[in-house]
Amino acid sequence: MKLRFRGQLDRVFTIATGLSVVLLTLVLLAILGPMVYRGSSAVFFQGTVEFRKMQKNLFGRGDEQALHAEVAETEKVRQQVYEMIDAFKKGVDVEALSEQVRQIHRQFGQDLRDRNLPAGEYTRLRELTRQIRDKLEAAFRSQDINEIKRLVGEVLKDESNPQLKGTSAEKLFAIARQFLQAAGQIDLGKHQEYALALQEAEGILFHSEALPGLLGPRPGEPPAPLVMLRYGATRWDQAQTLLDRFLWVEHWVEEKPGEPLVLQRKPRAELFPEPLRPLFTYVEQNAGKMLHPRRTVYWQFLRDDNVNSHYFGGIGPEILGTMLITVVGMLFVIPLGIISAAYLVECASDGWTMRIIRMGINTLAGVPSIVFGLFGLAFFVLFLFPLLGFAPRPCILAASMTLAVLTLPVMIRASEEAIRSVPATYKEGSLALGASRFHTFIAVTFPAALPGILTGVILSLSRIAGETAPILFTGAVSLGAVPRSLFDPTRTLSYGSYDMAVGDRLGMMVPHNQYGMVVTLVLLILILNGAAIMLRTRVFKKLRGH
Amino acid sequence: MPEEERKDMPTSVLKNDITKPNVRTTTFTIDGRERPANLAGETCTCAVIHSENFSLHYGSKAGVQNITMDIYPCSVTAIIGPSGCGKSTFLRSINRMNDLIPHVHTEGKLLVDGHDIYDKHTNLVNLRQQVGMVFQKPNPFPKSIFDNVAYGPSLQGVRNKGELQNVVEQSLRAAALWEEVKDDLKKSALALSGGQQQRLCIARALATKPRVLLMDEPCSALDPIATGRIEDLMHQLQSTYTIVIVTHNMQQAARVSERAAFFCLGELIEYDWTSKIFSNPAKKETEDYVTGRFG
Ligand SMILES: Nc1ncnc2c1ncn2[C@@H]1O[C@H](COP(=O)(O)OP(=O)(O)OP(=O)(O)O)[C@@H](O)[C@H]1O
Ligand SMILES: [Mg+2]
Repeated sequence: MKLRFRGQLDRVFTIATGLSVVLLTLVLLAILGPMVYRGSSAVFFQGTVEFRKMQKNLFGRGDEQALHAEVAETEKVRQQVYEMIDAFKKGVDVEALSEQVRQIHRQFGQDLRDRNLPAGEYTRLRELTRQIRDKLEAAFRSQDINEIKRLVGEVLKDESNPQLKGTSAEKLFAIARQFLQAAGQIDLGKHQEYALALQEAEGILFHSEALPGLLGPRPGEPPAPLVMLRYGATRWDQAQTLLDRFLWVEHWVEEKPGEPLVLQRKPRAELFPEPLRPLFTYVEQNAGKMLHPRRTVYWQFLRDDNVNSHYFGGIGPEILGTMLITVVGMLFVIPLGIISAAYLVECASDGWTMRIIRMGINTLAGVPSIVFGLFGLAFFVLFLFPLLGFAPRPCILAASMTLAVLTLPVMIRASEEAIRSVPATYKEGSLALGASRFHTFIAVTFPAALPGILTGVILSLSRIAGETAPILFTGAVSLGAVPRSLFDPTRTLSYGSYDMAVGDRLGMMVPHNQYGMVVTLVLLILILNGAAIMLRTRVFKKLRGH
Repeated sequence: MPEEERKDMPTSVLKNDITKPNVRTTTFTIDGRERPANLAGETCTCAVIHSENFSLHYGSKAGVQNITMDIYPCSVTAIIGPSGCGKSTFLRSINRMNDLIPHVHTEGKLLVDGHDIYDKHTNLVNLRQQVGMVFQKPNPFPKSIFDNVAYGPSLQGVRNKGELQNVVEQSLRAAALWEEVKDDLKKSALALSGGQQQRLCIARALATKPRVLLMDEPCSALDPIATGRIEDLMHQLQSTYTIVIVTHNMQQAARVSERAAFFCLGELIEYDWTSKIFSNPAKKETEDYVTGRFG
């Protein structure tokens, strides 16, 4: 009876432990899975022709000829979009039309002066075009179709005037006729509204003042100062988001008073009169042809510098910075940690000074990391560096030293544990052979404690590579040149991720880059840890004699 | 030892110079009898241990008290006695391993080869190279078999690879382990069996070419076969080494030793020929102990 109960207890224990392992794995997968998935989209995605354009222009990658051909192909499809919009503008954008007409009028005046006409003739022609101009402007402003017809009709009477034939003024009649045709099809009371809606739609399609659009700037447009505005959607997922925004307008409506607002979507096409509506179907149907999405592996993400705060490009300098800071930090942590631990175990007496030091080390392990950041700024950057004759500015060295101080307690504790757990018989054996205490430590105790010490290395490595707060003031920057020496500040993955998350809305626009950075950091730490763990296993096996 | 004689002794006696015969003639005796010649009848070049009113205290607690005895060269001397009587303490005093324990202090004299080892000028490194030790539990280093044996010689500055190999082979042969491990000297010592490990520890101790070998219950963790091997080994070694062995095994003491010392409660009760100790002890306590009537 009792025996059976024990057996069952054992089985329950086995099942419970097995279940907890499975649960832990699932939780890990649930956390890491989506992150890795999203992060990997920084490297694996559907790149559009805009991506290839950007790569060619900014990084000099890709085949020029093939790109030209592709651009030509897409431009052919895009042409229709431009035309549809321009045609619509001629009927709607009265501001632009008026400006155009005024421009032509001025140009015509210039032309007349160049022709050296007699004074009377000049005045008469000038007067004529001035009337045409005023009538057209009146027509543009008018909201009555009959009046527009009358005004345009009066203007067109002068079309046969031989003195205007073949001059720059002739363009006025084309504008008048197009306007009349367009005006017949639209609601004249909504000029203003249409103009605004069109501006917004164009912003999504090409680019607005601050945000890139679906297709990028129209050919011939002067390049925007911001590099990111010079290209359309470089990624197909991005293109689809923009396409969705282009095709649908979202707004919050109050369905019933007092209740929460409801998000409603309606086709953007409905904001426009009939003549422009085909544009939306056209863009929707031909988006693929205008952008040429293609499977892309952008592994250079891990190498490239970024452009426009990570809108384009990769995280090369961040990876380099993280590695540098980690390596330099470990160069401080490992020897200091081992020496301190060796001292604590082998040499230190059990007096109250030692007890205070031990307590200090334990307390240090619990201090918030930002405190270390401020300490690093105050001590290393502002105090120690000037003392040693270095410029008192944040840099890799200061950041590494701060991180080293931060992780030193971890390293010391792990090493101390490891050294303490080396059997005393090893030490006795060595001493009995005539070895000094120092030699015993180097030749016997240390190798035997190595696996435990490597655990300390793993723990501190992860912390050094991942911490943000301590390097905030001591060596990390969000933008800046690639460091040339340890006395330059650097970008790092941890600080970069933080900066993209809080910096501006750019981070939200390029989540793939943000996640890519975070996942790279995680992977980097995993790889470093994996290497350390493998080393530890090897050392352990060697010690065990397998 | 007379004062004048000690003055004559070379100051370098603690140097590891095993080849140079020690020409000193010793006159130590037990009960006035002359020291017997060693088994091989060779001229002995080994060291001698001379303890005079030696006491060791752990703080206020006595480990051993007033030990006065001579340990003779080229023979095996056994130390027996009940648990906690200070056998290990005395043995560890001979190569000053007790120094590692805090609050230990000693009184009296303990001479090895005529040199007061508790003198503050004693070179511990030299002493321990001269007085090797094998512990109760086999304690090979977590290194390869080769590195274990080569540890001592390389401490002494032997760097030459061939020389090291020589020493390692000799030591392993001396410890009767060579045939078993000669093919995988690179293997970790921890992969050996307990008996092999103990013999490795003996080889390791022999590699420094000591003159005295202290063994603290070297067979307590071993099976009879491994024990037998190590006892054979002691027989072979005793012609060239001074061996002091602590053991709880009366048969073993009887088998391997020439002389035996009986310790009780930190004091030396009786010290005589092993045959005499076991057959006809002078003291009542000794008789009780060796006949198993003790505690
Ligand atoms: N490190 C130490 N600190 C304090 N006292 C000790 C220490 N080592 C031994 N002693 C004490 O000294 C006395 C002698 O100990 P020792 O180890 O020499 O006994 P032993 O004869 O070797 O016993 P056993 O046969 O069990 O090994 C014991 O009473 C023990 O408690
Ligand atoms: Mg003991």
